[in-house]
Amino acid sequence: MNSQKTGWLLLAPTLVILFIFGVVPFLYVLVTSFVHWNAFAADPTPHFAGVDNYRQLVFDDQFIFSIWQTARFAFFVVLSELVLGYMLARLMLSDFPFKGLFRTIHALPLMVAPIAVGATWRLLTVPGLGPLPYFLDTFFGYDYRIGSFADQAFFTTVVMDIWHWTPLVTLTLLAALSSLPKEPFEQAQIDGASRFQIFWYVTLPFLRPAILATVFIRMMDALRTVDEIWMLTGGGPAATTRYIGLYIWRVVFPKTDYGYGAAVSLVTLFLTIVLCWLLYVGLVARRGQKSVN
Amino acid sequence: MRKFAASTALTAIAMMVGASAAHADFWSDAGKAYEGVTIRGVSESTPPSNYVKDVLAPAFTEATGIKVEFEATSWDQMYDKAIKDMEANTGIYDFVYIEQDIVYSYLSRDFLVDLTKALADNPDLKAPTFNFDEFTSFIDYFKNDDGDVFGVPMEAFVKIYLYRKDLFGDQEAKDAFKAKYGYDLAPATTHQQYKDIADFFTQWGKDHDMELWGTTVQAHSGHPASWYEFFESWGPTFGVYNWGIDASNNYAASVANGGSMNGPKAKEALAYWLDLLNDAPPEATQSTWDEVAATFAAGRAAQGLVYGENAAWIAADDTKSNVVGNVGVALPPLSDGVMAEVEGGTGYIGYYDGGAFGIPHSSKNKEATLLFLQYIGQDEVQPGWAIAAPRITHTATYADPDVMKMDAELDGYYTLLKDKGPLFAGAPPYPFHAQVREATAPFFYEAIIGQLTADEALDKMAEAAEAELTKLGYRK
Amino acid sequence: MFKPRRGINLLFWCGASLVTLFPIYWMFVISAKSRAELFGRPSFILDSIYWQNYIETLNNPTFQKYMFNSIVVATSNSFLVTTLALMATYALSRFPLVGKENIFFWTITNRMAPPAVFLLPLFLLYTQAFSIGEWRLYDTRLGLILLYCVFNLPFAIWILRNIIDGIPKELDEAALVDGASLWQVMTRIILPLARPGLAVTAILTWVFAWNEYLFAATLTSVDARTITTGLAEFVTVTGTNWGLMAATAMLTLLPALIFLGLVQKHIVAGLTFGAVKG
Repeated sequence: MNSQKTGWLLLAPTLVILFIFGVVPFLYVLVTSFVHWNAFAADPTPHFAGVDNYRQLVFDDQFIFSIWQTARFAFFVVLSELVLGYMLARLMLSDFPFKGLFRTIHALPLMVAPIAVGATWRLLTVPGLGPLPYFLDTFFGYDYRIGSFADQAFFTTVVMDIWHWTPLVTLTLLAALSSLPKEPFEQAQIDGASRFQIFWYVTLPFLRPAILATVFIRMMDALRTVDEIWMLTGGGPAATTRYIGLYIWRVVFPKTDYGYGAAVSLVTLFLTIVLCWLLYVGLVARRGQKSVN
Repeated sequence: MRKFAASTALTAIAMMVGASAAHADFWSDAGKAYEGVTIRGVSESTPPSNYVKDVLAPAFTEATGIKVEFEATSWDQMYDKAIKDMEANTGIYDFVYIEQDIVYSYLSRDFLVDLTKALADNPDLKAPTFNFDEFTSFIDYFKNDDGDVFGVPMEAFVKIYLYRKDLFGDQEAKDAFKAKYGYDLAPATTHQQYKDIADFFTQWGKDHDMELWGTTVQAHSGHPASWYEFFESWGPTFGVYNWGIDASNNYAASVANGGSMNGPKAKEALAYWLDLLNDAPPEATQSTWDEVAATFAAGRAAQGLVYGENAAWIAADDTKSNVVGNVGVALPPLSDGVMAEVEGGTGYIGYYDGGAFGIPHSSKNKEATLLFLQYIGQDEVQPGWAIAAPRITHTATYADPDVMKMDAELDGYYTLLKDKGPLFAGAPPYPFHAQVREATAPFFYEAIIGQLTADEALDKMAEAAEAELTKLGYRK
Repeated sequence: MFKPRRGINLLFWCGASLVTLFPIYWMFVISAKSRAELFGRPSFILDSIYWQNYIETLNNPTFQKYMFNSIVVATSNSFLVTTLALMATYALSRFPLVGKENIFFWTITNRMAPPAVFLLPLFLLYTQAFSIGEWRLYDTRLGLILLYCVFNLPFAIWILRNIIDGIPKELDEAALVDGASLWQVMTRIILPLARPGLAVTAILTWVFAWNEYLFAATLTSVDARTITTGLAEFVTVTGTNWGLMAATAMLTLLPALIFLGLVQKHIVAGLTFGAVKG
């Protein structure tokens, strides 16, 4: 059918680019995950290892701890950013002066490169130089040292991420809110629905796809965060903020353990896909049902 | 002053090279065959590298017609990029920066061109003004077993003991110290003295409402800098050499197998070092080499072990440092018997640190690059370089009048480097440097924040080191 | 006329802006101090501004080149990605393609991969597979523009899908019946209606491309290096030059702000199209 052909033609450039720069490297990594290969081993040439790398990973405490910390991190940041971002997007729609200015200010953190974000927060939190430890100590007598206290470091990375990425949620939800149809809301108001009812029965169903897309993007980005954390804590103290992206970075770069790094990456990728697929099926299946009715 | 030196140095070098006709002939004659060639190198953007990039490379281009391009990267990226290039045999880089501790990894993979052999095989390319014998003993750390050189040293430092002369010379402090500890306040020569001084000045800072602590500690809880401070600097002063790994004994690390990574000396050293954190400013657990230098330069610590590349700006550059003129240099404090072991040739008292430029086998312009490396390795370009970026790689540089003047400003740092440099040593000749470091470092970080005791951490580290060495195939 | 809600909103946004600006202001404070002044009791008030960091950065030809590369890469990538994603989402939304929901989900998996381990195959691809004679994809702006599609295309497709799905099919079907070409449908119907979504997509893909570090650091050398890799160069063994780094980071905000300003009015313009439905 002609429309099939046109559709595929429209899709073709995307598929070609993703194939060359996405799938081809993926296949290379897949093969690598089945070899023992370290550039500075006594024998630096790759050797077939079967599933050895995968077997090793199941018993790797550090890997499992990294996965756990990453999951905690992603859960806290995505949830906070979604709630906060939605509230800010709604407020952005209401009436107030200097709207353009405030919207620009609110989007500013997005414009700072993650590596500079990490550097800035490091300069905020280093005792002797940064204002945060100084003021927390002066006004609250609170000993704030993210190099020494694990919980503080974890919390700081969460706050930094919220500061940096909430604007993204605000912007995408703002775009979605802007294209909501008016009629259902007017109808609901005429029917005397409460504000909560309107939110729950009208706004949310309309926004569900946009929320889903935003949560996905934020979740997968949070799961592979590296730059900011690398600059702020280097993964410390100890393993507290050594999120999975950083863990892989250490395996692949300084340790030059390509085979094991490949296996760890693929398992991480697999876990991410499963997590997203469950969310997707759960939420999209419902949407699909409705459109059938 | 620094700036002025850098901008005039170019003219000075051009004049120097122009003045001696024979040399000028060599460079332009040798360069003729490679005119228009561009060579590219990768390096960190540190003052010594920047001097090469901004001063020596343009002078070289003028003399030979060979262009030089520099890629500047961060410390972590540099290795990764150089290794990828050499491993894949791509030929992107014609020269790479080799930090002293990675050279044995590169040698084990035969990544680098044998410079001694290359010069012997190509007498036409041998510059009359270049000679390996003119270098300090630091060049020994870039040789293979046969004594062939694989890198032209471009910077060399030692990690030394810095102390605040103003505080150590303060009469009130001297009296109070003597009253409390029963001996005179002076730069420490033993660990007990060092700890006493650290305790004393931490208390002194509290009593006088100063932002002052007893010592710097490079104890970042998530960066290998802390691991290095222990194994390169403090460990050797307690008699723990080569990370406690016995290369001659099947690379044993644990005491059970004949190693000493978790031996009594190492445990004593780590417990001592962790205890120093109580006398360190609060940023210590976020401090790499970088923050340690900044802390000392800000006047927040009375003493500390500081990398030599930072010693000079801390002591003399008042745009960066608040303690100019008040910095004293000395050798680190030692345990009994360490000096005897050093003299016996089995020990060392700290890290002789630095880097060199080498030519990867993958380079497609080896001859032109060989000329460049000789150019920057000439005796006559060294003094200007030493003044712009305090590093010394040639024995004759110490005697230069300007360098001697600077030495006085730096409280004799160069004299110390010249006389005591051989007491320090480069990294142990391990091809698995970064691998074992990364395998053991997680436990080390846990010890810093108190999740493990010193003993537990070292036991786990010895175990992890052996496991990694077995996996890599070095330990049978 | 005084409206209390406006006042409350204004107050709220002032407070929120202070929180947002605090770290950025601190970055500015750092950038306006010499290295010797950094330590000591933190103060938010600058006695005098030390411009040297800015002067040094602006006069540095390397900085200018990096900045230029970043602008070219981010803008080209954003344009390319938004265009391709619009085509792709239109196809996914309107055409009965076999397995299109699977393709849709598959695109996003390209963004999930932890990047570190993919650098080695990409490096080989760029230096060896894509090389003709002396020319290599390695260290070219084109290489980065194409590579950034891998994480930006999925993002754009996921954002735009909802927006295109939200535009009633009847509108373009009616136009097609009237004899309009596909091109006309896209430019006359879809493009204006999807403007807020396209604007947001363009901004965010631009930001992702502008801020990317790891790929740029590995796959460029001298010619195509971007400003984020320049920021990392300040982290050295002999002391991170925080002042210069902060000054550079402040300066990199400017092009981003200009781009945001240019595109952002389309988000606002989009508001009026909300009622077209039905």
